[in-house]
Amino acid sequence: MNTVMIVDDEPMVGTALRSFLELETSYRVLTYTAPQVALDSLDSESVDVIVADFMMPGMDGITFLRNARQLKPMATRILLTGYADKQNAIRAINEAGLYYYLEKPWDNEHLKMVIRNGMERSALFTELDARVSALEAANLELHGFRRRLIEAFL
Amino acid sequence: MSGVGTTGGALPAGAAGTSAGGVAELVSQARLASLGMLVAGLAHEINTPIGALHSNHDVLKRALNKLQEILADEVVEPHELDEVRRIVRAVDGILQVNDMAVERMAGLVRSLRNFGRIDGADVDFTDLHEGIDGTLAIIAHQLRHVTVVREYGSIPLVECQPQQVNQVFMNLLLNAAQAVEEGGSITIRTRADDSHVWVAVADNGRGIAPEHIDRLFEPGFTTKDSRVGMGLGLLISRQIIDGHDGRIDIESAPGAGSVFTVRLPLRYRAGTAGRTPDPEAT
Repeated sequence: MNTVMIVDDEPMVGTALRSFLELETSYRVLTYTAPQVALDSLDSESVDVIVADFMMPGMDGITFLRNARQLKPMATRILLTGYADKQNAIRAINEAGLYYYLEKPWDNEHLKMVIRNGMERSALFTELDARVSALEAANLELHGFRRRLIEAFL
Repeated sequence: MSGVGTTGGALPAGAAGTSAGGVAELVSQARLASLGMLVAGLAHEINTPIGALHSNHDVLKRALNKLQEILADEVVEPHELDEVRRIVRAVDGILQVNDMAVERMAGLVRSLRNFGRIDGADVDFTDLHEGIDGTLAIIAHQLRHVTVVREYGSIPLVECQPQQVNQVFMNLLLNAAQAVEEGGSITIRTRADDSHVWVAVADNGRGIAPEHIDRLFEPGFTTKDSRVGMGLGLLISRQIIDGHDGRIDIESAPGAGSVFTVRLPLRYRAGTAGRTPDPEAT
């Protein structure tokens, strides 16, 4: 099931987004108010899209997304912020491999489209990763076969 | 720790090579800058509940449309019941958020009224704790990286100009917030005796170098990034506290944090520039 993780220290933002996404989509929605708890959950949760606030106590959104990238490199990362400034946007893109930068107050339809595109992107990356892995395994097998073939004739 | 006490007296205009008229102009500019910061802070604080309400309004319309579609043929099919339950869950979440958002905005307005005392007299018997709490709410966005500890003692109502005194609290709290790193703390302590009240704002931030402490009240003196402020917050604060016949004491050392303590008389008596220095001045 496609899963969206929302991390915002304001419970009203998480709940509003959850209400909207659960009404309009079939995504599983996980909401967190503490970035560290959200990071800890990434060990066990399967997540396709991560939406994080910027200004949060304990860890800012860019640091959170950078850490999330290490744990779930295939997940699409989106910053939803009330602090719209160019420097932070550039930092987020460079440091956290950001997919999209959204400002509060957000437009639901736009957010839904960004998340849907993020889901597709994540699915494509996952599929690409699986195919590359399969290709590598096949290549390895071919190498082994070639080695055995050479050994058999020498 | 180095310490300094400030008493009433002429502005240290000469120390910074600025004329008295120039200082007044700077102070006036700083007050406008301070108001600008306050408005920017409020705009940010109100953006979260507004954003949530904006989204919820849209979600409610969508929910209503979905319900109207289901009810269009006047028969609710069994498979449509799941959809109705989903809509009810979404609306329930929306109502919870609306409660929070409306309460948040009402709280901000209460804090703002308290901060500015726009409904009150110029000099009034004031609950300083209310003023500090209101100020903390207004600048909450600048305090997100720190833990604020309130160690309030039992203090009586203080006869003062609340709007002015709240301005001092705001300056001291913003300075403290800018001095501490992520995860630091600011502790606000209050106490009183028969004639005075003390409000101390302590932080565990970077502290102030001894050579800088004596210059803190000079107009334009700042160790902060030039984008942070004009270096007039403490000067204005001192003017206000002088105007109440009070004083501000500072204790600080590099790496050991700072404590700014405001002392005010319980009964208002307008301070005068150039008066005899306070015998308790250090």
